[in-house]
Amino acid sequence: MAENLSALSGRQGLDNNLFEKMVAGARENGSPDNQLLRDLAEEFLMGKAITYGAASFYDFLKPDHQGKKVHVCNGSACMLAGTQDSIHEKLGTHFKEEEIGHMCCLGRCYENGAFQLNGQNYSGDDIEKVAEYISDRGENDSSYVIKSKLSTPVLTGEALTIEAYASLFRKVITAGADGALAEIKASNIRGRGGAGFPMGVKIESCKNTPAGQKYIVCNADEGDPGAFSDRYLLEEQPLSVLFGMLTAGYIAGASRGVLYIRGEYPESVRVVKKAIEALAAAGLQGEDILGSGFDFRFKIIEGAGAYVCGEETALLSSIEGQRPEVRIRPPYPTQEGLFNKPTIVNNVETLAAIPFIIRAGGKAYAAYGTGKSTGTKLVSLDSFFNHPGMVEVEMGIPFKELIYGIGGGFKSPVKALHVGGPLGGIVPVHKIADLTLDFESFQQQGFLLGHAGIVSVPEDYPMINYLEHLFDFTAVESCGKCFPCSIGSVRGREMMAAAAEDAVKIDRQLLDDLLETMEVGSLCALGGGLPLGVNNALQYFEDELKQYFK
Amino acid sequence: MDKSVNSVFVNGEEVQFEPGQTILNLLRKELGEEAIPTLCDAPNLKPFGSCRVCSVDVALAADGPMKVQASCHTPVTPGSYIYTHTDRINRLRKNIVELVLTDYPREKFTHDNPQQNELKKVALQTGIDISDVRYLPGANHLDRPKDEAHPYMRANLAACINCYRCIRACDEVQGEMVLTMVGRGFENTVTMGMNEGFKESDCVSCGACSQACPTGAITDIFAAEFANADQVTRTVCTYCGVGCNLNVATSKGEVVGINAPYDAEVNQGHTCLKGRYAFQFYNHPERLRNPLLKKNGKFEKVSWDEAYDFIVDKFQSIRAEHGPDAIGGISSSRCTNEENYLMQKFIRAVVGTNNIDGCARVCHSPTALGMQRAFGTGAATNSIIDLKYTNCIMVIGANPTAAHPVTGAKIKQAAMKGTPLIVIDPRRTPLAKLADYHLQLRPGTNVAMLNMLLYYIITAGLEDKEFIAQRTEGYDDFAQQIKSLDIDQMAEVTGVSKELARQAAIAYASAPNAMSFHGLGVTEHSQGTFTVMQIADLAMITGNIGRRGVGVNPLRGQNNVQGSADMGVQPHQGAGYLDITDPNAQALYEKHYGVPLPKQIGYKIPEMFDAAIAGKMKAIWIIGEDVVQTDPNTAKVKKALEMMDLVVVQELFMTETALMADVVLPGASFLEKSGTFTNGERRVQRVNKVIEPVGNARVDGQIIVDVMKRMGYDQPDYTAAGVLQEVSRIVPFFKGIKWEELGENGKQWPVAEDGKSTDMIHVQAFKRGKGNIQFFDWRETEEITRHANEFPYIITTNRDLEHYNCGAMTRRTGNVELNREDVLLINPRDARDNGIEDGDMVCVTSARGKVDIKAKITDQVNPGVMSTTFHFPEIMVNMITSDVHDSEAKCPEYKVVAVKIRKSKGEFARV
Repeated sequence: MAENLSALSGRQGLDNNLFEKMVAGARENGSPDNQLLRDLAEEFLMGKAITYGAASFYDFLKPDHQGKKVHVCNGSACMLAGTQDSIHEKLGTHFKEEEIGHMCCLGRCYENGAFQLNGQNYSGDDIEKVAEYISDRGENDSSYVIKSKLSTPVLTGEALTIEAYASLFRKVITAGADGALAEIKASNIRGRGGAGFPMGVKIESCKNTPAGQKYIVCNADEGDPGAFSDRYLLEEQPLSVLFGMLTAGYIAGASRGVLYIRGEYPESVRVVKKAIEALAAAGLQGEDILGSGFDFRFKIIEGAGAYVCGEETALLSSIEGQRPEVRIRPPYPTQEGLFNKPTIVNNVETLAAIPFIIRAGGKAYAAYGTGKSTGTKLVSLDSFFNHPGMVEVEMGIPFKELIYGIGGGFKSPVKALHVGGPLGGIVPVHKIADLTLDFESFQQQGFLLGHAGIVSVPEDYPMINYLEHLFDFTAVESCGKCFPCSIGSVRGREMMAAAAEDAVKIDRQLLDDLLETMEVGSLCALGGGLPLGVNNALQYFEDELKQYFK
Repeated sequence: MDKSVNSVFVNGEEVQFEPGQTILNLLRKELGEEAIPTLCDAPNLKPFGSCRVCSVDVALAADGPMKVQASCHTPVTPGSYIYTHTDRINRLRKNIVELVLTDYPREKFTHDNPQQNELKKVALQTGIDISDVRYLPGANHLDRPKDEAHPYMRANLAACINCYRCIRACDEVQGEMVLTMVGRGFENTVTMGMNEGFKESDCVSCGACSQACPTGAITDIFAAEFANADQVTRTVCTYCGVGCNLNVATSKGEVVGINAPYDAEVNQGHTCLKGRYAFQFYNHPERLRNPLLKKNGKFEKVSWDEAYDFIVDKFQSIRAEHGPDAIGGISSSRCTNEENYLMQKFIRAVVGTNNIDGCARVCHSPTALGMQRAFGTGAATNSIIDLKYTNCIMVIGANPTAAHPVTGAKIKQAAMKGTPLIVIDPRRTPLAKLADYHLQLRPGTNVAMLNMLLYYIITAGLEDKEFIAQRTEGYDDFAQQIKSLDIDQMAEVTGVSKELARQAAIAYASAPNAMSFHGLGVTEHSQGTFTVMQIADLAMITGNIGRRGVGVNPLRGQNNVQGSADMGVQPHQGAGYLDITDPNAQALYEKHYGVPLPKQIGYKIPEMFDAAIAGKMKAIWIIGEDVVQTDPNTAKVKKALEMMDLVVVQELFMTETALMADVVLPGASFLEKSGTFTNGERRVQRVNKVIEPVGNARVDGQIIVDVMKRMGYDQPDYTAAGVLQEVSRIVPFFKGIKWEELGENGKQWPVAEDGKSTDMIHVQAFKRGKGNIQFFDWRETEEITRHANEFPYIITTNRDLEHYNCGAMTRRTGNVELNREDVLLINPRDARDNGIEDGDMVCVTSARGKVDIKAKITDQVNPGVMSTTFHFPEIMVNMITSDVHDSEAKCPEYKVVAVKIRKSKGEFARV
């Protein structure tokens, strides 16, 4: 279905972008008006149903969004930290109830109490100064601890200067596309977005697909509650991400790079924008970069509140101004991606590792970690940790060392860790000792490393409520395309809610059937990943949960 | 290829697969169409993967771990092991359907027939009933309101399962994008336009969504009765030259609904609102059901015998008194090949004159003539399927999304996906909007425009020298004249910039395969035949002939306009295009007809009117054509008919022409007879009788035979097979066509004796030998040179999607609710200059007369140019059209009418 719309959107090129125009059109009133949607449909030669339908999908474009002035984070970490009722209440003294909206995870999981006001995120104690922020959106001082136990950090070291990046890119040019690709393949780096697909294979596939125009897309739609590693990189190490895209573009023969940055991270957008300007000033964006004959230009697309856009095909549809519904594969994006052209979609953290790989060599990168999970990993620790914040560790370290060593253990009793976002596994604390931090260990133990964001479930938080929250998350964020996810998540939420609130006992057979249907039947991980955590909970918290079953 | 490379195990059996084949397609082939249940899959849509019911287990090794994969969008992995009904898969399918049934209306599920409701069929197939649902009642959409405002389309979204088939059909098949999902996740709701409902949306009522819907959520007013029909008959649409196959459902002898067969080669399950919905005319109360004889100025119902006696008596006395050339016939392109053959045979062999012509005269006669002169055959060189192979499409003077909707939709699909599109048209048509190059020329300057293209191709050195040398003649002279053109003057007269013309020319000439389509915007001009020959020049000098994805492809207007000419409905050529002045041809025809035949070329339609006014023609028999409403210069046509002693009109309705008849004979609609129609790609398809003729109406072919017999000619009664056999003995390119062997998708002529169909002609050589390349200089039409001073604006006529020609049929269907009147498209500047507001009545005057039309202000037309339709007799736009004709084929110049305008003094339309 997407083919015509992708092509029509692509006719205008990246610079006259349909989605961007819709988002811009929402700035004033919170949603684009119908006249604008009609005009855009006309301009892009589409039916007006198309723009109308697309706008209705997004939290920050749909008509409900009109009039919202402040947004309270309702991500898992803030919810479990129990900070948000009070945030909402305090905001209520300044705003009418209908002016208060929600955003799912502002990436302030290390201190919680997060909210967004005037395009600025706040957290921790900021709520106490909200009156000031309403009138003057001054700097807010949200700092968090960044730690690395590595002698040579891959991702968290001191940011390189633009000159250093220029000379690094000269190295890429000298190595040539094949040479640079060989280093990436030698590093054996796997995608950090969750699926763990080898990056070298992806770049090579795109490189080998003939086309006049190709694209590099940075998936900076870090939607998983509990994760703020991409935000860290975008805001603290933006040049590393841009350099990764530039290098991927050079290898694959792509002349455009798109950063799809979620709308919940306005600061990231601002920082990256400046970083692109700096690159341009240094001759690392534009035509004939460093005399190599290679042209490359960046483009930032700001998201509009839809978790599913973190799924790569939905993300591509979103950039095109279509409804971000998950596409079937094949065709894979490296064959037919953005505007039906070959496209590499990589996560922020994956791209940010490229400077290290080019600088130190693929082998040096592969020397970190385990055989199958090479390199390092950023881990996001939430506010239940004694040492919350951003941590870079070598793949394969004992999970225990991370939690109790680097993380310093918990401030208050925690019964489980939800690792890898809402679609990850729920690790009971007694299993921490059995795990090492790598893709394989988590998988073998029936969990998922994902991007390694860690959300702590406190001892006193009823697991049934957390399961309801997980089904609710999928129900709210499901694109609605595949039946198992769109209907199943709602039925699961109803089942959990009825059990928790109305003492309606759950039919275990029916729940098992539902979980199996979602797991094996869903089109993407949003429906397919949810059952993992639920099943972990059913297994490890059987005693707590058995009262809810028939 | 090595066998093992393409083999796979299906439930343990080793089978072969095609590279790239999806698992579902393989399983359907191996296990049968119904073996794997599906909900979101549809035959004419791309795999989508939403329902997941088609999932199967796949292992990469015999005992390896199995993975669930959706078979509809997963390509077969070589050597894999596919299991279609493991316990897990059976459970998955049933559990998915159970989820769907939690939000489906129980009564509808219980009541519906599983043959019509695919959800019910799949539920039963997977072993679940709605009463088996285990979930407690929860959120649902069972209270969604129904949408019943549109004349045809219906939505009952409580029964929608969000499979997206409707939305995909609207995008992938029709390309209209009227449907979308609104919302997200479980709240997704199929929505028309910007939540406007079908009626207020931009829906073109093609019905693709209704046909695609598996659950009865989107239907049409005919769906319920269609579901319970006694019988379904496959036939061919009566409207345009696309030739869509239709499945017509009947109950107790009444037509209850139409849909499009997915296996139709022409239309692949698609058709338009005329084909699908505009059939209710057939038993409209105004349908003519008895012969009528005008007595004392009033029509009286008479018996067939009385009508025949009257006609035969008159024909015989007129012939005796004035000779056979005082009689003429106009045959109908709405009728079958067999009927057209009989009509020309009647006029030639029974009356004894060549005064036989047909509506092609007023539409594509320049195409037939021009292509004959250039190539030797007056028909499309290629087929519509070539759109799949072409790299560049040029559409000249045609608006196929309205006039040939299924072909229009296919062109639109190709253009949206990026096939370069050049549109040459004075109007900004829907295709022009999508085009890479829209050459929006002033009406009447086609020859200048095409000369510009030819000039830029030759001066850029993009001509195909090898093709020109081997396959054509006349190039050197031609090139000389092209090169000496005053290109600035051409740009000036066309109003199209040189740069745009150059770019378009280069796009066409440098595409590996470029194909052109043209319509009446080419032919209905004083230089129509020349323009057709220039289009042939373009194809020949670029070597775009004789391959897939190339050629010259006229979009024939009426359903059987190709066929009527093939059958000899022309005053200068007999059946099979043999020259009636050629003694060999005469001998052949005389041998078959068994009588001596007239040797002189007869009158073309406009010449018939002139002859009548001059007192030379006294009688005319017109079948299925409303010359009064549709031929130009209405006053003159009326005068001609008034002058004649006998006017016989054979019709379905009391048209403007029938009103002037002495005898009106009730003919049969396409639903009421058998025969063949030949579409615009030379495809001879079977028209199968669906119902008996209404009232006392008779099959047109039989009426002709009845008169032939009464005039002493021994002609067997009308049967499609019988007449077709007679035709196949005479028409060389019909030699191998036999009624029994045409099958469901027909055959494309020439059909050799062995029955082989031909989808492409002129492959090795042109029919005439070498292709004839010829130069033509542009000349301003007399309409402009004579009248432009007094009448400074130009009106060009066109067609709307909802109506067909004079509208006699479509105005008597629900289509009229969608489009009630002819309007005048006028540019905002011209409107402002003349103080005209949107919706005002405008008095439009030409040298012939004046009409009042409602203005519609639009940028579809440039300043100075206006456009309107002639579907409605209330307006009679042809009161103002001119009687300038194509210099060669005598096709009227409907496309250039010099007019002046003013805001109408009368406040009302002339109703």
